[in-house]
Amino acid sequence: MTVWPLKFRECGDGEFLLTDDTGGFFLSRQPFLERYAAGELSLVDQEFLRGNGHAFGREGDPDWTAFAYRWAQRQASQQELSYVILVPTLRCNLSCGYCQVSRAPETARGFDWTEATLNATLGFIEAMKGPQIKVEFQGGEPLLRIDLLEKVRSFVRTRFPGSQFVVCTNLQRLGNREWAFLDQEDTFVSTSLDGDQDTHQRQRTHDDLATDTFYKNLAEAVKRLGPGKVSALPTIDVDEPPDFGELVGNFERYGVHSIYLRPINHQGFARRRGSHPSSIAKWNTLHSGFIDYLIERNHRTGGFVEEYYFSQCLRRFLRSGADDHVDLRNPNFFASDYLVIDHDGQFYPTDEARMLSRIGRVDLSIGSVAAGIDQAKVQLLNHASFNNFDPDCIHCAYQPFCGTDVVDDLSRNGRIDLARTDTWFCRRHMSIFDKIVEVIRRSDEAARKSVAKWARVPSWGDHMIPVHA
Amino acid sequence: MGSRTVVGRSHDPCARVIPLRLKVDTDAIDPYVVRLRSFEGMPQPPDNCGFLDAALETADGETALFAGATGNLRVFGVDPSELDGDIVFVVPSRKTAHRLIRASSPHNTLLITERCDQLCVMCSQPPKKQHVNMFPFFETAVLLAPENSTIGLSGGEPTLFKSELFEFLRETMARRHDIDFHILTNAQHFGRADLAELRDLDLSRILWGVPVYSSAGAIHDQIVGKQGAFEQVRKNLSVLCEAGARIELRTVLMKPNAPGLLDLAKFVAVTLPFTDTWAIMQLENIGYGRQNWGSLFFDSSLGFDLVGKALDFAVSRGINTKLYNFPLCTVPADYRVFAPSTISDWKRAYVADCADCDLRNECGGFFEWHPKAHGYGRFGVA
Repeated sequence: MTVWPLKFRECGDGEFLLTDDTGGFFLSRQPFLERYAAGELSLVDQEFLRGNGHAFGREGDPDWTAFAYRWAQRQASQQELSYVILVPTLRCNLSCGYCQVSRAPETARGFDWTEATLNATLGFIEAMKGPQIKVEFQGGEPLLRIDLLEKVRSFVRTRFPGSQFVVCTNLQRLGNREWAFLDQEDTFVSTSLDGDQDTHQRQRTHDDLATDTFYKNLAEAVKRLGPGKVSALPTIDVDEPPDFGELVGNFERYGVHSIYLRPINHQGFARRRGSHPSSIAKWNTLHSGFIDYLIERNHRTGGFVEEYYFSQCLRRFLRSGADDHVDLRNPNFFASDYLVIDHDGQFYPTDEARMLSRIGRVDLSIGSVAAGIDQAKVQLLNHASFNNFDPDCIHCAYQPFCGTDVVDDLSRNGRIDLARTDTWFCRRHMSIFDKIVEVIRRSDEAARKSVAKWARVPSWGDHMIPVHA
Repeated sequence: MGSRTVVGRSHDPCARVIPLRLKVDTDAIDPYVVRLRSFEGMPQPPDNCGFLDAALETADGETALFAGATGNLRVFGVDPSELDGDIVFVVPSRKTAHRLIRASSPHNTLLITERCDQLCVMCSQPPKKQHVNMFPFFETAVLLAPENSTIGLSGGEPTLFKSELFEFLRETMARRHDIDFHILTNAQHFGRADLAELRDLDLSRILWGVPVYSSAGAIHDQIVGKQGAFEQVRKNLSVLCEAGARIELRTVLMKPNAPGLLDLAKFVAVTLPFTDTWAIMQLENIGYGRQNWGSLFFDSSLGFDLVGKALDFAVSRGINTKLYNFPLCTVPADYRVFAPSTISDWKRAYVADCADCDLRNECGGFFEWHPKAHGYGRFGVA
């Protein structure tokens, strides 16, 4: 019998998490680890390892084939381009302290699509395969160019019936024409809601009138467009976080139960504010505290609220195929299933890459609507877009659940060859997966209820985690 | 149900509801397959009426006369409008016609053989020794089937006639690109030598339904009545995986295998991760299942914990897991979303307690032949 390589990480109380390259896992203790390391596995060990999918008899036998299948399933497969993020204007009628995208003032000139860019964009979309696509309007504030949005949507509706549209808007200024655009079955709204009223005003709206307008419009959008049509996410300043209770209460009030807690991004104007080396540790503490808070709150209220990214990582921990979140999958090939088209017609592999290029740190544009996709550059980025052979990741017990983020590394460090453990991405994900291993092992009712909901299973208990004594 | 024959769903107890065998009279001598067309409301047969069609000529209260290139066929005692599009197998010597494919039904299954090398304790269709080769007739029937049909192939064990089966699939799939197959097989008879032939088929259009009852070989073998069956099915599921086949695992829940269901869930997640669907099925009260009801029926309304834990585990690991034939009220609320209504309306029944139930519209109820004393200790939505 051959045992596939196992990686391990101590997870408290003398227990170790052991994983293999397919993401198969179990818990055990020091004595087993020593037997494993010394090559002195007992018959009971061998039987357990075979049954839990970590060993095979000979190449090509059913255990071997099943392992190969599970390994393959762990890899994100390349998809057809089906999702475009469009930035028809970079102008915005808000000026948020942390602006992610390097906005331009509302009255500025030269930050909107030209007629030629619009036509080239439509031409690019027309050549997509379909049958259905997703179009996300970003900005700036995209509704400042409602005319462009209308043209794109009507074109896409004709070319790819059944497609979906998302408008990422600050909901500050909505006239009849804007409401009419949003109030359509195929159109969704995504907005920012930075937790409690004070934080939202401090970070985004700056005065009472603008804040009131936002909340009034948000309430109206939820009422008018219906449940599930409006999503919102908070951007968190780790040095001045909002009150968790008020934040969650605010989201629940607007029917949002999945909250994606985002740290202020390192790109865009946010970058100019600098990033203290200890900020990732602070962020991890805050995020972990938020998870604990949600567990306690869900238990108390009988409700269900999740931190979107934590749930996503939990599902990735448990099973393959959770590759629908573009920030965490492996490999994460650029310009494969989605692409950003900027206000000047430049292509970017991600919104973050667009911001990073905008501040002049490094040019990550990968072509333009006029010239097409720059495949050489895409290939260059793709060389570093998977963790399978990373000299640090290969030793990590969380490797099969994790990914990699070249753009974030470039943004924060200006290079991609740092020790993984020195990067924000790695430290953030180590902390998330540690937290996952902590909460799935908790035996209290409160944790089990939330974990079950977040993992999308009816109930959670001891039977869910293989343990080898 | 009367005497059984080797064609059609003769074992199908819906025979009580819908006649699957028709009394006929014909001037032909040899058996043949023909599609019946009633064309009611049309002045004359449309263009797509081919030489394997027989069109309704005349009908009165008792008989209907269908005529076509295959000769005249008189059908007794059925409203001909209900037969429109049906594909029947006519046996002149017995004055019968078997409805192989009913145009109005999404559940048409062709019985490849009554032979089987397993003898499952709950078999709904106990095997027989004799075999009649029906492939040529089935081939014709499939070519005439309604557009976009899914045709079930069952038995007995269809792969006992593996080379004929492959040939039949190759031929029909090449000529009817719109048709899918759902093949029930014990997967005892594949081998690596079949890989080439399997890959030659468009495997995206075939769902292989394979029963696995336990991860403990001895229990599985005992249930299917065959030594070594577990090791064989394990090996051959692996072969099917290598070929790229779509697989539906079918586990009938019974007293002997219920305690090991969580272990089976782990086995499926670890060793059979290529499973498209894992169906955990409540026992049907028919065939041997009826004979052995007392020793087999597992009351999942009281012992749901065993089922629930297995389902939790499998779902968490990404296995698409379903509960088939479970009345919804016997399933805890959080698990009902995994229990689709799987009993077709024409063979579905409810008991008296179901009369005022709020879940009735989403619930599959019982098979019509399920005993009225249904056996569930916890029944009805509070």
